[in-house]
Amino acid sequence: MILAHGKIIEESRQGEIIAALKDEIPLILAQEGLNPELVIAACDRLSLRAQAGEFDAVAKPLLEMAHLPYEAYLSYARMFSGEGLRKKMSLELAGYPLGLEEVTPHLFRKRVALGVLLHIAAGNVDVLPAYSVIEGLLAGNINLLKLPTGDKGLSVKLLSELIAEEPRLADYIYVFDVPSAEIETMKALARYANAIVVWGGDAAVKGVRELAEPNTKIIEWGHKLSFAYATSQATDEQLKRLAEDICRTNQVMCSSCQGIYLDTESDEETNLFAERFFEILRQKNLEMGKASLGMRAKAALNVDNEKLEGKSLVLSSDGVSVIVYPDEALTLSFLFRNVWIRKLPEQRIIPILRPYRGYLQSCALCCEEGKAQDLSNSLIKAGICRICDGGMSSFTEGESHDGTYPLKDYSRIVDCLK
Amino acid sequence: MDSIKKLFRSRHPYAVAESEALFVKAMKENVAWHYQRCPDYKRILDQAGFAPESIETSADLAKIPPLPTLYFKHHYLASLPDSKMILKATSSGTSGHNQSRIGYDFYTLMRGWAMVRRTFRYHHIWRLRPTHFVIFGYEPHKGNDKGIAKTAWGFTFSAPALSKDYAIRWKDGSYQVDLANIEKKLIHYAKGRHPIRSLGFPAYTYFLLQQMKEHGIKVSLPKGSLLTLGGGWKEFYAQAVSKQVFYDLAYEVLGLKDTSIVEFFGAVEHPILWTDCRAHHFHVPAYARVILRDPDTLMPVPDGQMGLINLLTPMSRACPLCSVMTDDLGILHDEPCACGLSSPYLEIVGRVGIEDIKTCAAGAEDLLKEPKK
Repeated sequence: MILAHGKIIEESRQGEIIAALKDEIPLILAQEGLNPELVIAACDRLSLRAQAGEFDAVAKPLLEMAHLPYEAYLSYARMFSGEGLRKKMSLELAGYPLGLEEVTPHLFRKRVALGVLLHIAAGNVDVLPAYSVIEGLLAGNINLLKLPTGDKGLSVKLLSELIAEEPRLADYIYVFDVPSAEIETMKALARYANAIVVWGGDAAVKGVRELAEPNTKIIEWGHKLSFAYATSQATDEQLKRLAEDICRTNQVMCSSCQGIYLDTESDEETNLFAERFFEILRQKNLEMGKASLGMRAKAALNVDNEKLEGKSLVLSSDGVSVIVYPDEALTLSFLFRNVWIRKLPEQRIIPILRPYRGYLQSCALCCEEGKAQDLSNSLIKAGICRICDGGMSSFTEGESHDGTYPLKDYSRIVDCLK
Repeated sequence: MDSIKKLFRSRHPYAVAESEALFVKAMKENVAWHYQRCPDYKRILDQAGFAPESIETSADLAKIPPLPTLYFKHHYLASLPDSKMILKATSSGTSGHNQSRIGYDFYTLMRGWAMVRRTFRYHHIWRLRPTHFVIFGYEPHKGNDKGIAKTAWGFTFSAPALSKDYAIRWKDGSYQVDLANIEKKLIHYAKGRHPIRSLGFPAYTYFLLQQMKEHGIKVSLPKGSLLTLGGGWKEFYAQAVSKQVFYDLAYEVLGLKDTSIVEFFGAVEHPILWTDCRAHHFHVPAYARVILRDPDTLMPVPDGQMGLINLLTPMSRACPLCSVMTDDLGILHDEPCACGLSSPYLEIVGRVGIEDIKTCAAGAEDLLKEPKK
């Protein structure tokens, strides 16, 4: 299924539609431009419909596949609310000229759209591809979306509903289903774009660099890892909040906690902390209900294997585990409520984490108040983009994408004469 | 090693109840053998506080610490020197560091041969009629250690071979999938009078059948033809293709009834030939046992309840494959079967975890494996 001119169209016509864009894009660009208020109002109406459960039939199976709670869906829907988007605009474009801004009596400045964005979405089952397009719209761009492989139709559904809410958006939204292997088609799309927005890992970014012309900007939103940093003085409440987030997301999101670094050099202290956190995680897991059998089974094999390897302290029961490793490496956990714990004294934060700088996202800080400021500073200097509390996966509107504001990246500042 | 030899020579490949005492004895011998010869295995058993001589009854088998297949992917465990290994096989994973390497010595292969002979005889797989073989798998090549390629090649001796065609051919220094050629050959052979035998991953076979259906092809394979499947349904979990859908498609495209479809399963870490009966059930063979384990506690679950599949066999003298934990979830059914066998049968429900979804956190893992500056 593809989307063009506001209609859902058979994939067989994709080639001719892409070819026709060559002449259509200049015509659309020549028009007056897109008023962000139209986008915001349409999103707001759509968000209300989503929150009222209108799209549950499509969303629920996808949530189940991704093992995400319905609550996550509601928080996604709220990302599209008018209030949220307005806040996002004012926050992200703060300092940018709103209209025509005078620099000198002869020189004026304004913010305009980049022009055309090609979004290459990641293979996740969620609203991200559609959300990426909406960000492009807010900045006033024409958006070409290449669906991820194995897309389940959610993006086309959401964006066509958005156009139904506001038909004037039709010229600014195109969705294509081009396999990444079809290099020529991908190149044709890339040639139309002022910038390519790529979601995904290093392989995806590398692929995009190969198909982009040198004059095309590449905006990368890569895969990220998140973790927690704690001191032994962390309160039970702080750790409970962290454990709850781990259980709720099953650690599958970029912002989910994979493990905990403890501010200590002592193995004994680490083991004591591990036992304490394990008990909290175990309780939370029982309170919230266990993860699915498939997830537990997958993790059980990994955890059992870790026990056989005999190189770490493994605490496990009821389908959750805490594993203490002797090194300081940042790794993915076994997911599904299985957390690693490693020593990382405060003064080693920067040297140890800096090598991972491109891959760091959130860090939940669980410590006494007096230390928070210093630890935050060190973590930020090491490359962390977001310091938060244990409720790591609850985002508020207007938060950055891994350290930058996308609307700025999707805009340019032009100087002009009055 | 007498009990193991005796076990693999048992007359009836499904005489499970009758061979119980012999099986326990054989396991005891096998575990002790590896305990004495494989230091890593000894460490694992010692760590678990398990002594091989404590195996006395069937109930003790569950206490043998099972090794997850994952462990074999990171460690080469052997109880014999390399010079004794006449065959080495790797599991069919695609990426290099994720494959198990398992060695086989002469005695182990002889036991395996005795098992294959009897199992094939029971399922009427040996035939004397000249047959065309179509393998939905790898063409043999000296650089290919995959267990599945070796099995496929071995299978082409189950009847006199008129021809052997492979879907994954060795061309210009690499393996290439060539379904078009297989499709052409199948149509050609269908017009002849000699039966056709195919062997392959269910996934490849299914894709070929689907492609043939899209091309509007309908043939009727000669009498005595057999479609055999091996290597598991893993690729299907995302697609949720049920076996019945598969059988229906085979009937539609090839004119084969499901009684002419036989499925095998085994693994390099568990080289036992599990074969489905005419009711398409995998009955426990005399050479192996299965224990389903609770993922949370790793303790055995009662029959009829889903758990992780733990496979046991005393077959290997070369590697400690006595008790292996697979990546699959399954259910053991101890109930009467239409085929008449009384041995319980194993239903493989699916692979653990969530394979279809690439989570963003998991995506980052590959990146972290790259060297850091």
